[in-house]
Amino acid sequence: MSEQIATRENLRLLVEGKLAWEETKKLIRLSPKDTDRFWKYLDILQERVAWKDRILLRISDHLYIVAKKGGGRVVKCDCGQELGDYRVNWKLNCRVYVRRTREEMAEVISIEEALPNPELVEMREFYCPGCYAQLGVEVVPVGHPLLFEILPDLDTFYRDWLGRPLEDQSPGWYAEKTPELTAKWAKGG
Amino acid sequence: MGICYQGRTLKQAVADKERSFKDTGYAYGLKDLKLVTDDPAKFMRFQLRLVAACINARETAKLISANPVAMLQGELLFMLATPEGDCVAASYGLAGHIQAFPFIVKSIANLDFEEDPAIEVGDVFATNDAYYGAPHNADNYNWVPVFREGELIAWTVGLNHIVDVGGLQPGNLGTLSPNTFTDGFIYPPTKIGARFKTYKWWELHWKRRTRTEVFNILDDKMRTAGAVSLHNKILEIVEEFGVEYFRQGLKEIIERERRVLVERIKAMGVPGRYDYLHLNTVNYRGVIGTVFPRSNRNWLLHEPAELNILPDGKLHIDLEGLTSEADFHCNGYEAAVRMLSSLGCWPLFAYTVTLNTALQYMTSWNLPPGSMFNPQNPYAATVMSLAETGKQIYMFHNTLSYAYFARGFLEETFPGDPSGVGYGLAGILADGFQWGGGDMTLVTCWSSGGLPYKDGEVAYFCSPNPAPDQGETEAGEFLQPTNLTIGKKLIPNYCGHGKFRGGLGIGMCQMIVDPGQFLMIAGFGATGGMTRVTTGNCGGYPGLNDINYFAHDTNMREILAQGKPYPRDFVEIQRWIKDGTLKAGSVDLFKGASPNVSCKDGDLFAGATSGMGGWGDPLERDFALVEKDVHYGWITPDVATSVYGAVIDDKGKVKTAESQNLRKQMRDRRRERSVDAREWWKGERDQVLKKDFSETVRDMYADCLRYPKFRRKFVDMWQLPKDYVL
Repeated sequence: MSEQIATRENLRLLVEGKLAWEETKKLIRLSPKDTDRFWKYLDILQERVAWKDRILLRISDHLYIVAKKGGGRVVKCDCGQELGDYRVNWKLNCRVYVRRTREEMAEVISIEEALPNPELVEMREFYCPGCYAQLGVEVVPVGHPLLFEILPDLDTFYRDWLGRPLEDQSPGWYAEKTPELTAKWAKGG
Repeated sequence: MGICYQGRTLKQAVADKERSFKDTGYAYGLKDLKLVTDDPAKFMRFQLRLVAACINARETAKLISANPVAMLQGELLFMLATPEGDCVAASYGLAGHIQAFPFIVKSIANLDFEEDPAIEVGDVFATNDAYYGAPHNADNYNWVPVFREGELIAWTVGLNHIVDVGGLQPGNLGTLSPNTFTDGFIYPPTKIGARFKTYKWWELHWKRRTRTEVFNILDDKMRTAGAVSLHNKILEIVEEFGVEYFRQGLKEIIERERRVLVERIKAMGVPGRYDYLHLNTVNYRGVIGTVFPRSNRNWLLHEPAELNILPDGKLHIDLEGLTSEADFHCNGYEAAVRMLSSLGCWPLFAYTVTLNTALQYMTSWNLPPGSMFNPQNPYAATVMSLAETGKQIYMFHNTLSYAYFARGFLEETFPGDPSGVGYGLAGILADGFQWGGGDMTLVTCWSSGGLPYKDGEVAYFCSPNPAPDQGETEAGEFLQPTNLTIGKKLIPNYCGHGKFRGGLGIGMCQMIVDPGQFLMIAGFGATGGMTRVTTGNCGGYPGLNDINYFAHDTNMREILAQGKPYPRDFVEIQRWIKDGTLKAGSVDLFKGASPNVSCKDGDLFAGATSGMGGWGDPLERDFALVEKDVHYGWITPDVATSVYGAVIDDKGKVKTAESQNLRKQMRDRRRERSVDAREWWKGERDQVLKKDFSETVRDMYADCLRYPKFRRKFVDMWQLPKDYVL
């Protein structure tokens, strides 16, 4: 059953947002799901990018955690721009634009009566420095720590859940490193 | 000699359940699922018989109710639980409530109900007290014990959301209440009947302590009748399968389902940490605070969550950094958190044969003592606890959507935002008749968020209720004759934009007619003047505020007398006032809940909700989708251009070459006006160091920095002095 529905072609169309809704519903109803989905997904994603670094995980529309040949795991945009160690919030390697006034927010919130209150929140937009795709939007009070949408435990995932350990697995991988970057910046580095 | 199996007391049985899970990691210590393994077909038949019995109870009992929220909008549930309180089967309806019942049973066990007032055949118990396990007082539980030869073998339960709770504000979801005494009618676990019948005196409480006494009395009868009929049906099933099978079968349902859920997470998710944040506001200053000094302030509620998908497939949710408990209406307890949040689990991973409490065996929560979800003050107000604990529904929706997206199961993503506008109302008609009511129509027809592969849908589901219905406008007008519905429609541009935009929000517009001596309306909403959740997905924009809008002293009577068109939603009202078509003496706009607002004949009241968040960069939206939006009037041509970079010609078609050029210009503009993150960080840090916040924001941080984990995150982010205080 899953061979007929969760085909590579259907998954490719799904990734592109072009799979017909009736076919998508078949995928939703598929139970159990295809156990090799992740590997098919990686193949499709890898074919879509121009670079050769191995994709370990897709974490956003444009962003992937990739394995660098010389060692390291970094976040990379499909345009080729790299955004640093995946354990550091990638937003700190973006271009940032902040909408602070009603007028600025009204450019993207199209109902005047529903605009956010600028006394309470600012609207942060994060762009890829390479292609200027909009990668993230946060509407939070000024000074709020960045939200880290996903910090995966890659070694557990590959070793214990997928049964294919990563070559560079190490107990030290699963830890957030964002404070190390901000500490460096605070020291002027 | 206790009433449970082998003479254990109820208190012992509950303690044994908890200990056996802690010691073995299996629900009820069941390493082997004997019944499931020996004859799976028989087990399935057994399980489905239980579900059918619950549905039968619902469908027959609900005919007793006169409350449209229960009868027409599906806000009710009937369920079967083990003696220890685990729910093993339920009807469709308000599914989350199965998660609260174990807390209620634990409460009556610890209160020694077995000794006094005693638990006997035919007894009827009830509660709506959050302190003892109910989420909030709008949700009322009636339950009866199922005995066989002197042994308590199960509980059957009826639950529904009532129309009015007798609080400071009319309706069932008040947003003004500083303590439990202003929440309205709350009763701790109470024995309200015997011999399968409620006591006559019980009706007096509904009659005297709530505004909609007849609705509430009939609802109470409905809950009891359903629980009793389910009780009788369960005894038939026990006879058919045998009590040994029944006793063991209920436990195996829980353990088997626990395993299913864990395996599903491991099959579709990615272990790791996922951040989520929701914000809301409470605006009491000068409203209620003049009477209650400790409430004379505004709050910005900080509701962060960290979902940890653990290596063993279980989920741990850490809410440290949550706003502290306070004298406001939205405190809640663990039962409410688990109950509401489970509504995000059903669609994402907990869809199984039956509704059951297996979730409690694979999820754990950190609810810091003293925070608003673990109040230490026993008199904390909880009348609207569901609004804030309910935000955790969308924690599951959004964080797990990222996990499934990362794993490649795009079709299983289902990001969502809290939603739902409704109102309570109370008045005195011209002849002196006092009355009250409420409406949840717009709670029952949410749109959905944009997905990684398609736009959100419109007006098609209700997150808190898997089987909702908008009900009938005519029924609402019959029961609330002062409120004439003149519009119910989707509102153009009312969504979070994105490559795949959120579903358009829906609005409702009512004209007030002949209110008599007095009418006041209290609107509720899910937002607080910011956005829905704080993030869009993958570059999409978050969903938009709920709206409660009042236009007073209008010329609507003249407009109708002249046979002219009339406005149908808040956008149209506002526009018509601006261009002079509609006259209004004053307007009140609330981007979320409203206080009690007095209304007169000819006033307009408009609510809107469910403008959901988008997925992906709006500049990547397919031109064909933009064209379709413009064609159907969902997105206006000016917004198609300004947000989506699509230039629309006179026939509604996208001018491709011009649009591509415009999109390039818009990306260039992003380049020109953005800065490197490091530069942004320095500027924001300076502001934090100078403590340059608005008063409400400063108060929020000052409170949350008392919690070590959030303090560490905040200090690390901005590299602040260790003794930084506000």
